[in-house]
Amino acid sequence: MTAVDTVVPRRRNRDARAAWLLSLPTLVILLALLGYPLYRMILLSFQNMRLRELITDLAPPWAGVDQYVKALTDGVFWGVVGRTAAFTVVSVTVSVLLGLGVALLMRRVTRGVRLFMMIAMMFVWALPQLVAAQAFRWLTDSDFGVLNYLIDKIPGVDFANHSWFVNPWEGWAVITTLVVWAGIPFLAISLSAGLTQVPKELIEAATVDGANAWQVLRGITLPILKPLLTIVTTLSVIWNFGLFTQNWALRDSHPEPVYQTLATYSYTQAFGQSRYSYGSAISVITVLLMLGVMVFYIRQMFKIGEVD
Amino acid sequence: MARHDEDVVTVGRSRAGTVTANTTGILFGLIMIFPVYWVLNTAFKPDSEVRSFTPTFFPASPTLDNFRSALGEELFLPSMLNGLLITAMAVAAALVVGFLAALAIARFQFYGRRAIILVVLGVQLVPFLALLIPLFLMLQKANLTNSLIGVSLTYLVLLLPYTVWTLRGFISGIPRELDEAAMIDGCSRPQVFWKIILPLTGPGLVATSVYGFIQAWNEFIIINTLNSPQKQNLMAWLLYNQTERGTAWGPLMAGAIITSIPVVVFFLLIQRNIATGLTAGAVKG
Repeated sequence: MTAVDTVVPRRRNRDARAAWLLSLPTLVILLALLGYPLYRMILLSFQNMRLRELITDLAPPWAGVDQYVKALTDGVFWGVVGRTAAFTVVSVTVSVLLGLGVALLMRRVTRGVRLFMMIAMMFVWALPQLVAAQAFRWLTDSDFGVLNYLIDKIPGVDFANHSWFVNPWEGWAVITTLVVWAGIPFLAISLSAGLTQVPKELIEAATVDGANAWQVLRGITLPILKPLLTIVTTLSVIWNFGLFTQNWALRDSHPEPVYQTLATYSYTQAFGQSRYSYGSAISVITVLLMLGVMVFYIRQMFKIGEVD
Repeated sequence: MARHDEDVVTVGRSRAGTVTANTTGILFGLIMIFPVYWVLNTAFKPDSEVRSFTPTFFPASPTLDNFRSALGEELFLPSMLNGLLITAMAVAAALVVGFLAALAIARFQFYGRRAIILVVLGVQLVPFLALLIPLFLMLQKANLTNSLIGVSLTYLVLLLPYTVWTLRGFISGIPRELDEAAMIDGCSRPQVFWKIILPLTGPGLVATSVYGFIQAWNEFIIINTLNSPQKQNLMAWLLYNQTERGTAWGPLMAGAIITSIPVVVFFLLIQRNIATGLTAGAVKG
């Protein structure tokens, strides 16, 4: 009895030590290259680090909340926030709805068509973001782009040499199309995998009882799909809110003010204008704006992690 | 065409409905693939056809000139080599370090385990670009900007949380009874890890490293910020190339294809893992 009592805690102690030892390299790396920069970012946002401090290696002067006041009282900054938020809402809504539609469609088509859809989506999913953005830049080129050529074919429409980025609404339509197009494969394929979890018997029973397709979708399919739908929507929000590659590449690495999102704006302020502190403050605000969504995501993942 | 009964989910589905669905599906697939097709189409066209006001849907006289000209660019091959080196270093380091932490989380119950999981999951959500400013300043101070090592280090951090989390899943999938059986047969704990878990995690290690490769290979903003044009990877070269000579669409598309090939091939290989890995967890929750 006493032997067991002493052995078990000792064993547990040794286990804990081994576990921490095994985790140590990961924790050290994360702390040094993620934790510390995070701290530095917050610190920087309360200072005034400019090119002079960078070159001379002088300690940047303390600025208190100046950077935040500057951002929060600046119409340009609020424009960027509003634009990023609006883009996120529109692009996530469109891509999740289309993804769901495609997933449902994949259940109705014959096998050959489904395979074709899968292959097409796999190639799009595999394509690097920057390559996809370059492809869209070429498709929408004002002189030789195939998009203008095709639209110009519509009788009565003159789209020769049309510039897609002069009017911000059109430019953002291109960017949104690119993001939605690139996002659909992940959404449709994940959701179609989730749809296989919906019991056929349930749908059959409902149909026999006289439910129409819409009622089956609302009453059976969507409730079963809900956890998965929540996860993919949350991920899409996090990804799209951080939009950088697409507007950056489509605007030749120099996005005009109307094409700035929070991510590109912070980057441009820091590395384009050497306002490292102001850029950091914008980053901090960005993270704070996303915090709710992130906490929600982690809680969902924790629930899943607990299962296995 | 033969009927596929297993395809029909709902009873009483009309033939016309299937035709409509199939037509929509084919149309959808064609629209999705069109941009990819157009990249390929452009890459094989001679310049005269690329810069034409009436674009053709097939190259009239297919040529490899664009590929030759992309490969012949001064910085193309160095960028490719840099990219391979950086990616290899970051992925290898992430695998070794991440495997150890994954072992701890998957096989030990200890005080602080939940905290470690929280850290690993949480840091994945920190927008990495937001940290670029302090990282740049830190690496600058350590004389690690404009070096392959500095970029590799940042990529390591980029890959590590994902690596730990995924490997944890693979290790959890190995029955604990195997560990216990081996220990009864006289294996020590390290021996169990080395002889039982490591070989059985093999496929997981491959899938994780392939995913890491894709992430690191596709990254271009960090390297573009930290390094001079001579020390870029291929993806950053693609961006750099764009601003240098914006209208050379043929070579640009050819370069884009060469840059994408390893990623697309790898992606298609592990595609099953990515898709099922994500949904298996979420459906259960």
